[in-house]
Amino acid sequence: MDPILEHKLLTTRRHLLGSMAGGIGAIAMHDLLGATSGAPAPSLAADPMAAKQPPLPAKAKRMIVIHLTGSPPHLDLYDHKPELTKRDGQDCPAETIAGKKFAFTSGTPKLLGTRRQWVRCGESGMELSDAIPNLHRVADKLCLVRSMFTDQFNHAPAELMVYTGSPRAGRPSLGSWATYGLGTENANLPGFVVLISSGVQPNGGTSSFGSGFLPSVYQGVQCRSKGDPVLYVSDPPGMSRVMRRKSLDALKDLNELQARELGNPETVTRIAQYELAYRMQASVPDVMDIAKEPQQVLDAYGAKPGEASLANNCLLARRLVEDGVRFVHLFDWGWDFHGTGPQEDIRDGLTKKAATFDKPAAALIEDLEQRGLLEDTLVLCTGEFGRTPFREGRTASGGILGRDHYPDCYSVWMAGGGVKPGYVHGASDDLGFKVAHDMVHIHDLQATILHLLGFDHTKLTYRFQGRDFRLTDVHGHVVKAMLT
Amino acid sequence: MRHFVWFALAVSGWSSAVITTAAAEPVPSYTRDIRGLLSNRCVRCHGPDGEDRHGGGDDGLRLDTFAGATADLGGHAAIVPGKPDASEVIARITSTDPDLVMPPPEAGQRLTDKDVELLRRWIAAGAAYEPHWAYVPPRRPAGPAVKNTAWPKNDVDRFILKRLEAEGLAPQPETDRVTLARRLALDLTGLPLSLAEIDAFAADPAADAVEKLVDRLLADAGYGEHMARQWLDLARYADSAGYADDPPRTIWGWRDWVVRAFDVNMPFDQFTIRQLAGDLLPDATLDDRVATAFHRNTLTNNEGGTIDEEFRTVAVIDRVNTTMSTWMGTTMACAQCHDHKYDPLSQKEYFQLYAILNNTADADRRDEAPTVRIPWEPIDTQRSKIEEGIAAIEAGIPELKKPTPKDRTEPPEFQPARKIIDELRKKLAATPTVTVPVLEELAGDKRRVTKIQLRGNWQNLGDEVREGVPEVFNDVALSEGAQVDRLALAKWLVDPANPLTARVVVNRIWERFFGIGIVSTSEEFGSQGELPSHPELLDWLACELIDSGWDLKALQRLIVTSAAYRQTSKCPPDLVARDPENRLIACGPRVRLSAEVIRDQALAAAGLLSHKKGGPSVHPPQPNVGLRAAFGGGIDWQTSTGEDRYRRAIYTTWRRSNPYPSMATFDAPSREVCTIRRPRTNTPLQALVTMNDPAYVEAAQALARRMVREGGSTAADRAIHGFRLVLARHPVAAEVDRLVKLQAEARADYAVAPVDAKQMATDPLGPVPADLVIDLADLAAWTVVANVILNLDETFMCP
Repeated sequence: MDPILEHKLLTTRRHLLGSMAGGIGAIAMHDLLGATSGAPAPSLAADPMAAKQPPLPAKAKRMIVIHLTGSPPHLDLYDHKPELTKRDGQDCPAETIAGKKFAFTSGTPKLLGTRRQWVRCGESGMELSDAIPNLHRVADKLCLVRSMFTDQFNHAPAELMVYTGSPRAGRPSLGSWATYGLGTENANLPGFVVLISSGVQPNGGTSSFGSGFLPSVYQGVQCRSKGDPVLYVSDPPGMSRVMRRKSLDALKDLNELQARELGNPETVTRIAQYELAYRMQASVPDVMDIAKEPQQVLDAYGAKPGEASLANNCLLARRLVEDGVRFVHLFDWGWDFHGTGPQEDIRDGLTKKAATFDKPAAALIEDLEQRGLLEDTLVLCTGEFGRTPFREGRTASGGILGRDHYPDCYSVWMAGGGVKPGYVHGASDDLGFKVAHDMVHIHDLQATILHLLGFDHTKLTYRFQGRDFRLTDVHGHVVKAMLT
Repeated sequence: MRHFVWFALAVSGWSSAVITTAAAEPVPSYTRDIRGLLSNRCVRCHGPDGEDRHGGGDDGLRLDTFAGATADLGGHAAIVPGKPDASEVIARITSTDPDLVMPPPEAGQRLTDKDVELLRRWIAAGAAYEPHWAYVPPRRPAGPAVKNTAWPKNDVDRFILKRLEAEGLAPQPETDRVTLARRLALDLTGLPLSLAEIDAFAADPAADAVEKLVDRLLADAGYGEHMARQWLDLARYADSAGYADDPPRTIWGWRDWVVRAFDVNMPFDQFTIRQLAGDLLPDATLDDRVATAFHRNTLTNNEGGTIDEEFRTVAVIDRVNTTMSTWMGTTMACAQCHDHKYDPLSQKEYFQLYAILNNTADADRRDEAPTVRIPWEPIDTQRSKIEEGIAAIEAGIPELKKPTPKDRTEPPEFQPARKIIDELRKKLAATPTVTVPVLEELAGDKRRVTKIQLRGNWQNLGDEVREGVPEVFNDVALSEGAQVDRLALAKWLVDPANPLTARVVVNRIWERFFGIGIVSTSEEFGSQGELPSHPELLDWLACELIDSGWDLKALQRLIVTSAAYRQTSKCPPDLVARDPENRLIACGPRVRLSAEVIRDQALAAAGLLSHKKGGPSVHPPQPNVGLRAAFGGGIDWQTSTGEDRYRRAIYTTWRRSNPYPSMATFDAPSREVCTIRRPRTNTPLQALVTMNDPAYVEAAQALARRMVREGGSTAADRAIHGFRLVLARHPVAAEVDRLVKLQAEARADYAVAPVDAKQMATDPLGPVPADLVIDLADLAAWTVVANVILNLDETFMCP
């Protein structure tokens, strides 16, 4: 690891330890309880966000998810099907659609071959389309899965499936499981940060990054590059930092009087939370200010300070994980390529949309690597499902080429954090309707992610309503072939 | 027989569920010692789920029943009563052979030596199984004898004290009157009392001063709203339909029904029957039909390309789960896909309940049909005015009753009137009547047939099932011969013989007052739930509730007038260390307030709170984030004006995909599913809300103005007044000094920063009224002080 980064991480860890365990909390606790009664002071290790070692050796210490909301046309980005191109415009073979329901297509749709050019990239020779030229550079770092499948074909349930393991709201999300299991390295920042670009929320609303039945301390905290970077992090108008400090000093004195009077550990915790909030007020705006980055870094990502773009969010993701944030979840809207408008055409529309994604995504991977972070940072890029090998029903007679939702076979990629680089896992069949071999279900992907983070997915559980719940429900197998 | 066993258990006092200091009994009790052990370690594979039962003979080995555990397995048996050494169970759990040892190393943890010893002693004593305590109807135990006969104020106290005396502990003294007043007011109404009322109560020499205050609070206009809060969590009430686009839903008429029902103290059995089956009552009133919106709070998926039947099915499943969680503390969800792993609830029984709820007309439609129109004065008046206008014009020119003719041959003199009437009609269309989605039973050939959904998949159907309730509760009679419908189900839930409903209800109420239920897992009373800390008290309260005619106010009066509730929450450190969750109730409760109460309290102390009841949900200030919902509209809103900006939190618009952020930070759920119990976290993000959220800054500004206006002329008096407006009690000298010192420091700083001073004192509350004579630096400094008071730990706690 880069020695400067090592130092930075250690400082934040020490800061955390100093402030939480050995600092104000422990001293006040000792004063209040230890000295008067001889009873053991309740441990502040009970801080639910304290960094924890996972039970198994972990390849990934932190994670970044890039979610392309709406689901990109994987057959025009990651999975080249020459046979589909050859049979473009023909009716779908009966066996490919028999008994299946699609969101916006009925009858016998026409096969739709890709219009993209394809390039074999890097030493691995991974075949990627010309819509994502920047990702060609990092193909040898990618672990591309061409054999994903899911059970859901409507956006909201499918997205909840990817991140909570269930198509219904109410379960904890991947990031909350990760922070529940691992805590976070930097107490002055939220442990699980969510960044949204292109102006629209995730399909599942806040449930896509919610904590479900886990304590709400594990829910994703939405950060913004415009306005308050975290809701309410700015002092009110007319309250200077000096004044905030003075008022917090008074608050602390008064709360300590109360703690002394009642001896309730909750009061001591609250004192610590206010001090933490005070530090967060400085550290959050600091880490969220990408104007602090050198121009060549901004250029590499295509980031422009003040925008709410995926480019900015990719750069922010790197800044956040570098500062010890455990889990960063990006959501970018606008990937629902039905063909209902020119921006949803798999030709020009995709070229334009992909340009906002592949440059920062490639830059993120390279930047992480240069900083020595890629080896223990897992990056996942996915939608909530794939898109059909045929033209979407409603738009089939128009001039715009689009695809319908498709759950049975699609592609996602990962990088860093213990996944095999320059590796393609599984394959679709000739026309892209079915997985040809090495099927990976959503729950298998989740099991594999948790494995990389140091957990047996069957053992990372939380007791709720009398049952030990887990991200993978009662399913999931670690896909060993993807691991380094 | 069942009852007898239960009674024997109750009087033998197996109540050491949590904190045991007494020596272990020589013979382990199945309920206390063995059931949980088997349930957690063995029953998942050797339990009720016949499809997935391992070991033993053809049907697999069952360890959750005596018959199963002692069945002949060909010359040996898992459990041989009286003979631990002949019992295969003991051999397996102690085996060192990885192929033989149970549980298998990959499946679960080895049993500890202590566990093995318990099982051994239990088998040696005859391996007596007992029915699960919560499945046996409660019987009213007598108030137990206690040594300290002076302390108990009612029977609640006798049960608490009996346990304390067994633990060698004494209760804490009664808290002071002022603290008690704040506790009672926040617990019963969610609002602070006025200082005048607090002082009058503190000075009231009457022997029944507490009872009088309790009665006054139970009759308070704020009571129903406060009670409704938790019910809305259970009912997953929200003002939006859910899923991606999460469009608005008009269902507040049901929320108001709930508030009214609590206010008039509708007996809980009636409350139940009306919400589950009000439409099926003979001569159902409009109100009865509105009540059924309880189960119309399920999500509808309006995303393009969804199959309505799929999401209708999802809603019915949610109704089954919510009904069983809310009334019976029973998690049925497992049995949707397979027989329950731990409790005797089969998949077939799941779909028998499903069948009862599967025949309502709603079907995941965007228009929320069926709905009923409810009166809503402001809209109705507006509409009738428009309608009158239209009628008047039509009376003058009858031709205008018809739309403009296609050929445009209308006489030109009609045109001005035509223009007006068209406008009016447009306005009428834009002023829709208020509706509430309701349950409506399908009749005749429209009725749906219910089939078991294999592995919980709605398209993969098995055998047809008829309406019914789980057999494990078959001591409770479903009305004989009558149709098994929602009405029968509702009556069954509140049948006095139903073992769970009353226990579940009193436990939730206890939990609200003490922070933790007598059964700590208030969402789960099955074999995977925790045992009650005071089982006899739980049963006594349950019987009391039933015998009182399901009188919720009486039940709460009983609890909050008890000596147990009135104890000081100042808890000696050794007691905190011994019983950190206060399960023994050896001192008074100190519980963090809910998100709603924290906000309402701040607004009330500031004098901003509106007490207006009911009506459409409102938009208090929330930060604009400039995002849209997926496939939906913007999530920002136009802040309500006038008093609607300051309504009680229960009236805040609840959009599921975007819960009101400051309340979500204080653990309010998204209301997508039934929430039985909110967690109570303590986080830095909460500190940011109450320090910086403009709603709280505004409250601090208004509180500061009250301090100046009403508090007196000295700084100390003003500080005391502000402190008391929030916390009721008089601050001690050190507290007053610290607040005054802060005010002086801040005033000095603001004196040289006039722009800051003006913002701090007026943004967003607005200009200082002319009659309040104070310079802005001074007022800004008081605002800083008020902000501190609103952030004290004590402010967030029910004292």
